[in-house]
Amino acid sequence: MSDHRKSFVAVGILCVVCSLLITAASNGLRGYQLRNMNLDRQKNLLRSVGLIDDQRKYLADEIESLYRNNIRSFYVDSDGRIIEVSGQTAGRLPIYLYMHEDEIIAYIVPIDARGLWGRINGYLAIDSDGTTITGFTVYKHQETPGLGGEIERRWFQKNFEGKKIVDQEGSFVSVGIARGLVEDRVPEERQIHYVDGISGATLTGRYLEASLKDILMEYEPVSVRFRKQMPLEPVD
Amino acid sequence: MKLTSNKTFKTFTDPLWQNNPISIQVLGICSALAVTVQLNTAVVMALALTFVISFSNLTVSILRNSIPSNVRIIFELSIISTLVIIADQVLQAFLYDISRQLSVFVGLIITNCIVMGRAETFAMSNPPLRSFADGLGNGLGYGGVLVLVAFFRELLGSGKLFGFDIIPQAFYTAGYENMGFMLLAPAAFIIIGLLVWLQKTIMDK
Amino acid sequence: MENLISIFINSVFVGNILLAYFLGMCSFLAVSNNMETSIGLGFAVIFVLGITAPVNWMVNHYLLAPGALAWAGLPEMDLSFLKFITFIAVIAAMVQAVEIVIDRFSQPLYNSLGVFLPLIAVNCAILGTVLFMVEREYNFIESVVFGIGSGVGWMLAIVSMAAIRLKLRYADVPVGLRGFGITMIATGLMAMAFMLFSGITLGS
Repeated sequence: MSDHRKSFVAVGILCVVCSLLITAASNGLRGYQLRNMNLDRQKNLLRSVGLIDDQRKYLADEIESLYRNNIRSFYVDSDGRIIEVSGQTAGRLPIYLYMHEDEIIAYIVPIDARGLWGRINGYLAIDSDGTTITGFTVYKHQETPGLGGEIERRWFQKNFEGKKIVDQEGSFVSVGIARGLVEDRVPEERQIHYVDGISGATLTGRYLEASLKDILMEYEPVSVRFRKQMPLEPVD
Repeated sequence: MKLTSNKTFKTFTDPLWQNNPISIQVLGICSALAVTVQLNTAVVMALALTFVISFSNLTVSILRNSIPSNVRIIFELSIISTLVIIADQVLQAFLYDISRQLSVFVGLIITNCIVMGRAETFAMSNPPLRSFADGLGNGLGYGGVLVLVAFFRELLGSGKLFGFDIIPQAFYTAGYENMGFMLLAPAAFIIIGLLVWLQKTIMDK
Repeated sequence: MENLISIFINSVFVGNILLAYFLGMCSFLAVSNNMETSIGLGFAVIFVLGITAPVNWMVNHYLLAPGALAWAGLPEMDLSFLKFITFIAVIAAMVQAVEIVIDRFSQPLYNSLGVFLPLIAVNCAILGTVLFMVEREYNFIESVVFGIGSGVGWMLAIVSMAAIRLKLRYADVPVGLRGFGITMIATGLMAMAFMLFSGITLGS
């Protein structure tokens, strides 16, 4: 066999063997990987409503049962009403409800925000009064560690608890990120609508604040329903 | 035959100190810096690389007489890529959190100069067992440097080791603060520079 | 447009592929003691990245990503586990093409780059840029800008280092630090300097 043909045959065999090995590994392990991705999502949701303590290690089964017992996943339409998943796809927003028995304690909004270096993904949990934030977590981002990366730290996220997205007149104001400490920068009557900023990460704060406002605006129909104590019953 | 004078054993121990891939051969720097913010990522990265380089050396060595010379780079790259993908898939399946932290750097093992370098310069011209030992030695030598750098960065930068608090609370209340700088990119460069200085000074004595 | 400029500036300065993400160190260390080779290699990397980033974007978008093969009637297919091996194959092919082009148009450059040209294929900066582009889900234009920006950033780092090493020749460096050691420390200081750029804001 000429040299060229030998090379082709050799490379051909190489391709086949490599492909088989890679595909075998990928398919064989797919089950585990999917379970991990789900567990990760569930863990983040549970963290946003404080059902999981960051300091403890949880077993996969514990997380799955905590999730099953407390969190329900839905889609809402542009009126803020729950719709059947198989329904129309346009104008459909994902939402998670933290429920105990049949009572809704909080609703969780998935956050996919713009950051300085990429997307920022997290969950924002709002109390059933439609006004008070009960939790905020960031589980994925590309920000610089020590600067924008502080958004994943407990101190930053904890500051969101108790903040209100609606002012005393009832208008939607979202939550802002101050340039520095809230107590220094924000007038007292507005402090309930702001969290402390991260020093050295003004841009991250600015982008996050803008994205949060846009996203919460999208979910205003849902929030209004909660404020007015209107039910989210499914559309007939 | 004494173990220490066995040629294979020497091939294994050589890259641990004398011919360390990072500090002496100056290879594989890229990932050595990025994943050393924490000890657990450094350890996983080191293990992944050791796995890839040992088995790629082994495979290349077994096939060394059958690989046509003009496509040998393609062969080496394909073998290495396949092993890396398998390692990545296993990590995603069993160590999900760590695989997310390592993100692109596991994939970058493919372009890690150590792996390609040893395959080309050693495995192509040495028998399988010795090539495997060489891969193992280089992987562990690399791992050693990674763990050392990560040790300092995590301890000084966040007061922890493997995620466990080490610095007692009493220090913090007395005014001690974590050296945040250690968690940033430049610190890794400087620590490696200092470690190499230390090693070369010891070796010269 | 502002977004594109922002991506470009970020990839050259704050998120410099070499000084912030440590990619492309090997050839950086080997070549940065010669100014001309550094400049030549820098341009070659920019050129390769400017081409492979969008090409790999297309490969990912039309072949590998989940749902990418919808145009072929296979919307369920998710080939993303093949991305490492496919990207490296595309990069190797592109580098081979660049090598042929340089050989054709500039023999002196080809000679001075020598063995470093094929080594661009295994330059972690190239694969790293492609993988970051996929992870950050850039669109086509953004991937072009990001690719070129990364290349420019890398070249900036390597040329600056070459200049510094020229000066270091006249410095009295302790024996153990000579060569690799002092280069690492100099790189660390340069990385610190580049971090200053993170304070720059663009537009409103």
